Amino acid sequence: MEEFLTACPRNCYSTCSFKVQVENNRIVRLLPYSGNLATPEGPCIKGLSYIERAHSPERIIHPLIRRSSGNFEQITSGEALDIIAERLVSIKEKWGSHSILWYKGSGMSGLTNEIGYAFWKEFGGTTITYGNLCWPAGLEAVRLSFGSVKHNVPWDLVNAKTIIIWGKNPAETNIQEIAFIAGAKEKGCKIIVIDPLRTLTVDKADIHFSPKPGTDGALALAIAGILIDKDLIDHEFIAKNVKGFAELKDSLHILPADAETITGIPADSIIELAEIIGKNGPLTILPGYGLQRHQNGGQTIRAVLLLSALTGNIGKSGAGFNYANLQSYIYDDLKEPMSYYPDYENDMPFRRTISMAKLGEDMLNSCHPELKAAWIERGNPVLQSPDTGNVKKAFSNLSFKVVVEQFMTDTAAMADIILPAKNMFEQADIIGSYWSPYIQYKPKVLESPGETLPESEIYFHLAKKLNLNISFNLLPQPGNENIDKWLEKRISSCSDITLSQLKKSPVLAPGLQQIAYEDLKFDTPSGKIELYSEEAKVKWGISPIAEYTKIIPLHDEKRYPLALITPNTGSRIHSQFGNLKIIKKTNPEPAVRISHHDARFRNISSGDKVKVYNQTGFLLTKAEVSNRVPAGLVVFPNGIWFNENGGVNRVIAGKETDMGYGAAFHDNRVEIERIE
Amino acid sequence: MRKGFIFNHNKCVSCNACSAACILENEWNVYPRNIFTFNSDVDLLTPVINLSLACNHCESAVCMEGCPASAFSRESVTGAIIINEKKCIGCRYCQWNCPYDAPKFDIDKKVVSKCNLCFSGILEGRQPACTYACPTGALNFGEITDSGSKYIYSWFPDKNLNPAIEFTASGYSNTLKTVPENIFAQNEPQRAVNKKNILNEPSLLLFSFLATISVSTTIYSFVEGVFPGKMIFIPFLILTGLVSFFHLGKVTRSWRSLTNLRTSPLSREIAAFIIYSFTGLTAVLFHIPVLLIAASLAGLIFLVMIDGVYVFSNNNRSIIQHSGQTFITGLLMISFFSGLIFPFIFIALIKLWLSVHCLRERKINSNLFGIRYLRIVFLIISGASIISHISFPGTVIVFVFLLGELIDRVLFYFDFNPLNINTLITEQQNIERDEKKGG
Repeated sequence: MEEFLTACPRNCYSTCSFKVQVENNRIVRLLPYSGNLATPEGPCIKGLSYIERAHSPERIIHPLIRRSSGNFEQITSGEALDIIAERLVSIKEKWGSHSILWYKGSGMSGLTNEIGYAFWKEFGGTTITYGNLCWPAGLEAVRLSFGSVKHNVPWDLVNAKTIIIWGKNPAETNIQEIAFIAGAKEKGCKIIVIDPLRTLTVDKADIHFSPKPGTDGALALAIAGILIDKDLIDHEFIAKNVKGFAELKDSLHILPADAETITGIPADSIIELAEIIGKNGPLTILPGYGLQRHQNGGQTIRAVLLLSALTGNIGKSGAGFNYANLQSYIYDDLKEPMSYYPDYENDMPFRRTISMAKLGEDMLNSCHPELKAAWIERGNPVLQSPDTGNVKKAFSNLSFKVVVEQFMTDTAAMADIILPAKNMFEQADIIGSYWSPYIQYKPKVLESPGETLPESEIYFHLAKKLNLNISFNLLPQPGNENIDKWLEKRISSCSDITLSQLKKSPVLAPGLQQIAYEDLKFDTPSGKIELYSEEAKVKWGISPIAEYTKIIPLHDEKRYPLALITPNTGSRIHSQFGNLKIIKKTNPEPAVRISHHDARFRNISSGDKVKVYNQTGFLLTKAEVSNRVPAGLVVFPNGIWFNENGGVNRVIAGKETDMGYGAAFHDNRVEIERIE
Repeated sequence: MRKGFIFNHNKCVSCNACSAACILENEWNVYPRNIFTFNSDVDLLTPVINLSLACNHCESAVCMEGCPASAFSRESVTGAIIINEKKCIGCRYCQWNCPYDAPKFDIDKKVVSKCNLCFSGILEGRQPACTYACPTGALNFGEITDSGSKYIYSWFPDKNLNPAIEFTASGYSNTLKTVPENIFAQNEPQRAVNKKNILNEPSLLLFSFLATISVSTTIYSFVEGVFPGKMIFIPFLILTGLVSFFHLGKVTRSWRSLTNLRTSPLSREIAAFIIYSFTGLTAVLFHIPVLLIAASLAGLIFLVMIDGVYVFSNNNRSIIQHSGQTFITGLLMISFFSGLIFPFIFIALIKLWLSVHCLRERKINSNLFGIRYLRIVFLIISGASIISHISFPGTVIVFVFLLGELIDRVLFYFDFNPLNINTLITEQQNIERDEKKGG
């Protein structure tokens, strides 16, 4: 039995290190690795399920082709690549390379993902997407304010006196953070959660504020007003480090009583919260991605962030605004969120016209040339993009779809050719994290089953067939030694870190600030924290000062009175993991959660079959009547497959956020009725 | 020092990683690890507390003591209580006895499975899978104290078994404040106490009832100085014996149920049944009066043994105050069949008192009120008919009397309450909610 140190490459805060024991090309056991101070206790239930996932009999391990009958048939890798090469050439000749959509999701992170760029660039470019479904509004808000996106190391959280978890549910989406929250609480830290829902995280809190969804900005701005009124602000810090205080002060107009009307939180309680924020530092705010999945999401994050700035809770131990920590992303030429933005000059020959948030609509409207084909890797856009109806229509309109996948996902099921995808154990790679400060190497520990090829090799063979001449620096030869060589070369230009160093243990990012901004240097135009941002006005056409804009729901509220929230859950990363037996065994069947109040009104009981619907579409699923949901709100997690009565995007309209090209998932309204 | 589980509920968010790791490591069909949630329906007045519990590998392992088939053993190095699935007869008695809900019945294999502490992993230098898999550090494995202070939950059952678990959080109190107040609490919280349901074992009910009738008729015959009729006694005894097999997962291994006479009340009960049957049958077949005395004595002991099986699992492991127990019912039947008025009245009054006591105790189960009254009415009718010598057709009175006793036995099964953490959690939850609402 061999043991390897590796790291989980999922789109998740934690990016856990763990040890994996392998015997006869099978994973036997996953063990924690305490050397990673952010995840010393090891991975979550999803990580544990790799034991099943890597060897699942349901995994696709041979290329499949759709025959005219509609059924898939197994073909060899050579046959599949021949057909793909032939089709790509003929489509390119007929309609041009931009008639091909190259769609890549966040299914697996790693430097080797760049290899695809090299191939498609040499191919002549394709249409690609801009924006991101998850977090860009908030990223942009933080970037505009601080000039960069970083926060203190996760383990510094125990030094906080007050932690405000604002629209985040670490109990399910960043479970290792719970250990630090509990650690802080043991030392007397006050834990406050602001979330419309009574999440599992709320169970660990001292105070829970449940505002109406989309009104967090109003709450934050009212608190800012109280802080200034009661003189609970850090004048010295503001004078030295903040740009736009005077403008902010002049613009604040939401009084506690107004905020009560908007958010539903009583004015007295808002004042109480402001006093805790002003007096009980150091304060760390843990904003999640939920509160920025609104049309006003970017401005909301800017409004919450200014509470940290006004109270001087930046650049100190136990303090901070922990939206994301991109300090380990040292290998990216362009960091998020800038990499999400269309950039015609730098990214030729790619033409970025397709919005991630409005994928279906944009695909259907594409012209000159129309989209004819799609290549999808690391993603499941048919399930995960808003507006399923249009997305499905757009994909069915295409004449050729290649999907690189491990399982028969809802996107793979629409493919013409499915190429089996590698899993995290079958190719070496290097990954960063958006929470912990480590750069990590994950080795190859398993041989791929069947005819599974990593994307790098798929592209290598295709490039050969298409006679594309791509240098080794961009497209490595098959074989893991070559990947290691490629990685070595790739990282050597960016820092002094060597591959052998990374192979030994996770490495702290060079230049890491354990306490972010402790030098009080901000990479903004003014060099200060910009509460007033000229760039916000120029780039996004919004107020340079954070403001609260009332949400205009995406559906008629009179006919569809229930607000819908589509969070992530502890047992899935978006649409991954839910298909595994061990996850099904240990988690209840997916259901739409509804309050007792709304359920009684509609004669719905737990377990009833229900229809969730609005102008965009409808979803048939089961109901769970819950005390964890306030009246007026319903909850259905994203990432539940169609065959599990899932697919919440059927009732989600495609709409972009105010900045960063995110998707406003949480502005949808629905009605629910019981069906017999 | 002794090693065991160390749990801190402040870090547990019921993510199920422990349970998943347990299943993946041991390839179970069952779920040996429970994640109990105190206040799972999230009543705002009470805190939500998660408890990850599997087998606590107790110093006094009642599962092992009670097992009639000697299927449990203690691993010498780790102290783990292990079940040998090849020895288990699938009687599920350990499920009654364990207050922590650790033994799990594997429906496919028809035997009990349970946490084995991953003892082979410990011997190889690892921790139990559930503990190394816990991503927050809520569940650990290590040296535990033996002091009573480690039980921070007043309601944690059976501390005297010395379970190998320590709780490190410093109690719990409801400090959570919700703003706006009452935004979530919109419904009466669940109050139903979910207890172990023994009624789903009708064969046991039938076995114990038939046994009572059989023993009483044997003794009645002895008192009357006659031998029971072969054609009734023998088939009746065979039926009683057969019924007891029905609830076993592994009938072919039923002989194993005699292997733990030393500590298992179930083993002893079965032995007593065999002795009673053997002496009774021989007496009846060969008309040997001495053996009829022996059978009568063995029968009485057998009835005491039946009651002992339940006493062992009862929530305070002491005498059960219930009129539906076999020994007292047996005595009543003997006096009824023999027409012994004064003994009958005396025993019937005790039973009546116990029935009224139950009626007052179990106010919650109002759906049973009718049946509880019916049982009392039947007893009074039977008594009245004996005292007044009213000559109803005899069979009708016997029928009414036996039906009354059968109802009593059913009520016994309904009221029987093996000590169980699930029950305790809901009961405690209701107590705390009532206190908060009252205050």
